[in-house]
Amino acid sequence: MKFLRLIFMLLFMAFPLIVSAEKAKTIDELAKMYDSSSCKECHEDIYMQWEKSHHARPLMGVKGGLMLTPLAMKGATAFSPDDPKKATAKNYPCFKCHLPQAITSAEDSVAVELTEALLTAADASKTDKEKADAKAQIAKLQIGCIVCHSDKAILHKRELGEPQKGVLYSSKAVAEHGDAMYKKVEKSIVMKDSLYCGQCHGLGPNLEFDQPFQCANLYGSYLHNYIASGGTKSCQDCHMQKGDHLIAPNWNDDKGSTELLKKALALDVETLGYDWLRKAKTYVSKVVVNTTITSTAGHRVPDG
Amino acid sequence: MVVTAKHKDKDGKDVESKQERHYHPQATNCRDNKMKYGAQWKVANIRDTSIQPMKPKKETIEFDLPEGIRAADVTVDLFYELGNPDQKVPIHTVSQKVLLDR
Ligand code: HEC
Ligand code: HEC
Ligand code: HEC
Ligand code: HEC
Ligand code: HEC
Repeated sequence: MKFLRLIFMLLFMAFPLIVSAEKAKTIDELAKMYDSSSCKECHEDIYMQWEKSHHARPLMGVKGGLMLTPLAMKGATAFSPDDPKKATAKNYPCFKCHLPQAITSAEDSVAVELTEALLTAADASKTDKEKADAKAQIAKLQIGCIVCHSDKAILHKRELGEPQKGVLYSSKAVAEHGDAMYKKVEKSIVMKDSLYCGQCHGLGPNLEFDQPFQCANLYGSYLHNYIASGGTKSCQDCHMQKGDHLIAPNWNDDKGSTELLKKALALDVETLGYDWLRKAKTYVSKVVVNTTITSTAGHRVPDG
Repeated sequence: MVVTAKHKDKDGKDVESKQERHYHPQATNCRDNKMKYGAQWKVANIRDTSIQPMKPKKETIEFDLPEGIRAADVTVDLFYELGNPDQKVPIHTVSQKVLLDR
């Protein structure tokens, strides 16, 4: 028993040291820690789909807009820091879903650097180059292959433990995987499940913060409207056919979005013209338009 | 969705009547009754008019025509707005001529 206890003690003492030593101090360090450029060589199609996806630009999803800017500005929101130099991850509750690795693997200095970059990008007195550089720095923060295939890949941690270092997870295992850093792919069956996407796609208000707020709540809609109406498909069934990692829609592609929405939302229009008899001898000429919109999606459209 | 009925008035001039329906979840901060945009302001939905799965969204929209006007051109325009009304993604445009006389 003593022996065991000793090992526990050592582990306990060593653990926090390792973790803190591993945390990224800069945006570049965090981006490097989650770098997936090595995957491109062998998974070219998937990589190219992902590059165009919203997951590859979680801090500037629609038309290059930097949606975290108000949170960087003093007094602009309840979350904003008073001094950019004192920014911490607590100023960006959005990290929960838009950049989960910033919570687990970054020092607060990354929040400081992000705040300064957001302020520079929004500052009219800065040169175009300074603004573009700041934006390019923010663009390095992505939901990449490693976030999804490692950090977010295991949910039942009490039964299965934390994701291991140097191991990727997918709906299929690969005993000998060609990547230099990730030599093994283990099976995580939950990656086929809607629950997996539900980690970030929102149930409703985020009540665990000291100030509640709400962004995406599409997973709530999936559970309470689609499943409740007898739906059986998963997010992956509809959004990742043949392993597609664009995971459309891509709202920066106007034409593509029109095409997808045309298929997803059917509009039926019926019209009628007649003279309505309001009271004796008093006719009102009426045009009646009956519309019916039906959706093939597995949740509300639009969300958010 | 914008439904437009175009018709003539008594003097033969073109008149456009429009009715709109907006389909989306609507949230406040739960401290006042003002709807908010932006995740940092929204706290919970108070109304949800979005298009739900397996539940057709039906509307009946009526236009009253001026006396003596017997025809109208109806156009139903369904589109998606991204961040604001300037960021429109067109979906469907359906036009029908409606006659009151047989
Ligand atoms: C040297 C080539 C090579 C590199 C580099 C590489 N992979 Fe792979 N990977 C493969 C091959 C080949 C398979 C398929 C093995 C099989 O199906 O038996 C695979 C399989 C996978 C799978 C499991 C697929 C499934 O069917 O569920 C995942 C996930 C994966 N790779 C992710 C990555 C990521 C992330 C990176 C970058 C960190 C990466 N790979 C880098 C060659 C590579
Ligand atoms: C519960 C997870 C979650 C949290 C927390 C969250 N978001 Fe989101 N957000 C999403 C998801 C998922 C989407 C895309 C899908 C959707 O809108 O349904 C999204 C989309 C957005 C969009 C629209 C896309 C774009 O890039 O313009 C904005 C803006 C946004 N979030 C801002 C924020 C801000 C600001 C915060 C923090 C105050 C935040 N979000 C917190 C999950 C979240
Ligand atoms: C780590 C959190 C995370 C996970 C896991 C995740 N998403 Fe997302 N997803 C996001 C965020 C954040 C955005 C919005 C990024 C932006 O545009 O700002 C997004 C955007 C999207 C979009 C683009 C549409 C839109 O309105 O932005 C789709 C579709 C989508 N996700 C589907 C999925 C599916 C399907 C899964 C599961 C296979 C999944 N996501 C898993 C966080 C996540
Ligand atoms: C938003 C989360 C997310 C991101 C980002 C992501 N993946 Fe995946 N990936 C998944 C999920 C979920 C599956 C399993 C889908 C299924 O089995 O239905 C998957 C499946 C795969 C597969 C197996 C595909 C097949 O044909 O069955 C490979 C290979 C893969 N991913 C590689 C990558 C690489 C490489 C990257 C980065 C360029 C990446 N993934 C980024 C969520 C993600
Ligand atoms: C039955 C098929 C189906 C299922 C299941 C499904 N989706 Fe969708 N989803 C769609 C369709 C169709 C659209 C409309 C755009 C398109 O065609 O891509 C859409 C749109 C979206 C959007 C953009 C929403 C917006 O604001 O307009 C997001 C984000 C998304 N899905 C995520 C998910 C996630 C996460 C899940 C699982 C919890 C899921 N979807 C399950 C079919 C589905």
